[in-house]
Amino acid sequence: MSRFTLDQEIKLVQDEMLLLGSLAEQAILNSVDALRRRDVVAAKAIYAEDQKINDKHFAIENHILIILATQSPLARDLRVLAAMLEIITELERIGDYAKGIAKVAARLADDETPIPIREISTMADKATSMLHRALGAFVSEDLAAAYAIPKEDDEVDELYITIYRKIVQNMIKNPETIDHTNQILWVIHNLERTADRVTNICERIVFIVSGELLELDSSDDEDRDD
Amino acid sequence: MKMRIHSRIAWPFILTLVLTLVIWLIALPLLENVAYQKSLTTGAPVDLSFVHNAAFLISLAGLIACLSISLIYTNRYVDDLKTLTEAAKELGEGKYQEINVSPMRNSLLEMRELYEALHRAALQIEDQIAELSKERAMLSAVLGQMTDGVVIADSSGRVQLLNKEAEKLFMVNGKDTLGRSIVEVMRHHRLVELWEETRNGPAKTITMEMGSLHKYLQVVGIPLGEELPGRSMLLFQDLTQTHRLETIRRDFVSNISHELRTPMAGLKAISETLLDGALEDSVVARNFVLRMDSEVDNLTQMVNELLELSRIEAGRSNFDFQHIEPCALIQKPADRMILQAERVGVTLSYDCPDGLPLVFADPERISQVFINLIHNAIKFTPNGGRIDVTAFQDGQMVVFKVSDNGVGIAQKDITRIFERFYKADRARAGGGTGLGLSICRHIVEAHGGKIWAESFENSGASFFFSIPVVYRDNQN
Repeated sequence: MSRFTLDQEIKLVQDEMLLLGSLAEQAILNSVDALRRRDVVAAKAIYAEDQKINDKHFAIENHILIILATQSPLARDLRVLAAMLEIITELERIGDYAKGIAKVAARLADDETPIPIREISTMADKATSMLHRALGAFVSEDLAAAYAIPKEDDEVDELYITIYRKIVQNMIKNPETIDHTNQILWVIHNLERTADRVTNICERIVFIVSGELLELDSSDDEDRDD
Repeated sequence: MKMRIHSRIAWPFILTLVLTLVIWLIALPLLENVAYQKSLTTGAPVDLSFVHNAAFLISLAGLIACLSISLIYTNRYVDDLKTLTEAAKELGEGKYQEINVSPMRNSLLEMRELYEALHRAALQIEDQIAELSKERAMLSAVLGQMTDGVVIADSSGRVQLLNKEAEKLFMVNGKDTLGRSIVEVMRHHRLVELWEETRNGPAKTITMEMGSLHKYLQVVGIPLGEELPGRSMLLFQDLTQTHRLETIRRDFVSNISHELRTPMAGLKAISETLLDGALEDSVVARNFVLRMDSEVDNLTQMVNELLELSRIEAGRSNFDFQHIEPCALIQKPADRMILQAERVGVTLSYDCPDGLPLVFADPERISQVFINLIHNAIKFTPNGGRIDVTAFQDGQMVVFKVSDNGVGIAQKDITRIFERFYKADRARAGGGTGLGLSICRHIVEAHGGKIWAESFENSGASFFFSIPVVYRDNQN
């Protein structure tokens, strides 16, 4: 097949990947919103959304594999496709995190447990903004942004620690609520992991542009997995 | 036309031929005659070689004349054609004004006609282009000034047009987006879904919240079927501000209903008890009526505060600004509140450093701010606690501080306590209307200052507000 169609195919996959990114981004924001409003219906709607994310992930993976098999792309094209294969997995995981938060939101809906929702919202906004810009950097192959975005992960980590301390203090003060407060730890953990996933996406952008596989987050705890 | 051009080129040619022929016909018999006369007079044989030479020369001259005439004419045509080609090229390049009649003044009529036709076409195109650019400028001015975002995409989902507002909304550069896919530009699955639906169907409107900036949008998808087949337009209206105000209004109505219900329920209970027989017992009845009286006082206070608040918010409240010593502002309200503080076992003390610059303020209103803040502090400070009032200068502002060592304010509440009806702890706030701090904020803001609070839970709270110093004083 000609060059032109391979380029077109890659653009198609890229658009699909951006849509998957948008689904994941909105899922995180919606899950935190459901938590804020203690809205069971909104929380359950995110489960369905997660199914959509999973389906789309498989569809894109399939599409990429077909391109690899039929068009034998080389050099940069191959790097782009390989990177997208990696990135869609990251996005699918972010969708799972959103589902995790939605589950907590559903569980806490009828509960009076205080939730530090302001800080959690800030964390979610920060992480999703990073995700949005990282995918934008992928499209424009913006190397500077790919290096800059992972640095913002520190702010998310800081927020994580602040909220974590607060929750632990609350646990010590009101041991009877530990069962519920513990759930909030999961929420912030998921948000913190979302930001880490964005760092991985940025590593892929560097890989496409320079061909190098770099670890962009020095302070990270890659071994700590979920 | 063709005939005319042919005749134009043909006639000098024919003329030359005829001339040659005439010369032949007239000159040759004459020359022959001369030759015969010569032979008669001299007796020599007739010598026609002279005649032959002459005939040859005449033919040669005719031929040369024909050739040169046609050469001259051809050259003129070639030159004219060159000019025409140049003109056509200029037309193609859009240099309409450079086509004028002057270079063809000496040309052949037909060529001149053609050139003039070209010239007229150029003028017409120029007019049309001017008209079109005017329309275009008008359209782009409208699109550029619109407060709604506009995106037009073709049938394959490529962006064809994107106005300034849409650029801002999606944080993209308009020029870079043309021809790119809407997915790449808008980056939101719901917008892409809306585009897909309107591409094959009727117009549709959705409202949605977008991204980490929480923009609240109303989006209308419109197929442009008739005017621009296959294209569709998305119109974006940013309702973030309206949505926020709507939320505030809804909260306000629900809060005020809640706040009014409590004293109303109290009144109802008392009046029912009275009607059920308590009226007969004058001691009990008197007690109940006293309670009714105090409930009505509470209600009246709340309604008054609400009125006051709405007056300040609407900017209809008159402020009596004057140049005044910051310490004078503290003294009066603090003295007034000392007794009230003592009654609940709280020590209220104030301390005002010397040499603070004059501020521009309404003492009555600022006194109200102090009373509200001190009143609040008393409410949240347990027996044995203390409240300190002080002031200090910070740049162009004098900052007043009311701090206590009471229960403090939770971090999540600290920015919200200045909202109407916001009560950090409903159980403890008890009798208040939830309007005091909101009124404080409006008064301070009307002075051009700011109000804020700092607190660590269980270690007291500090309220600050700033009032600008008098400008004249800064000069000294």
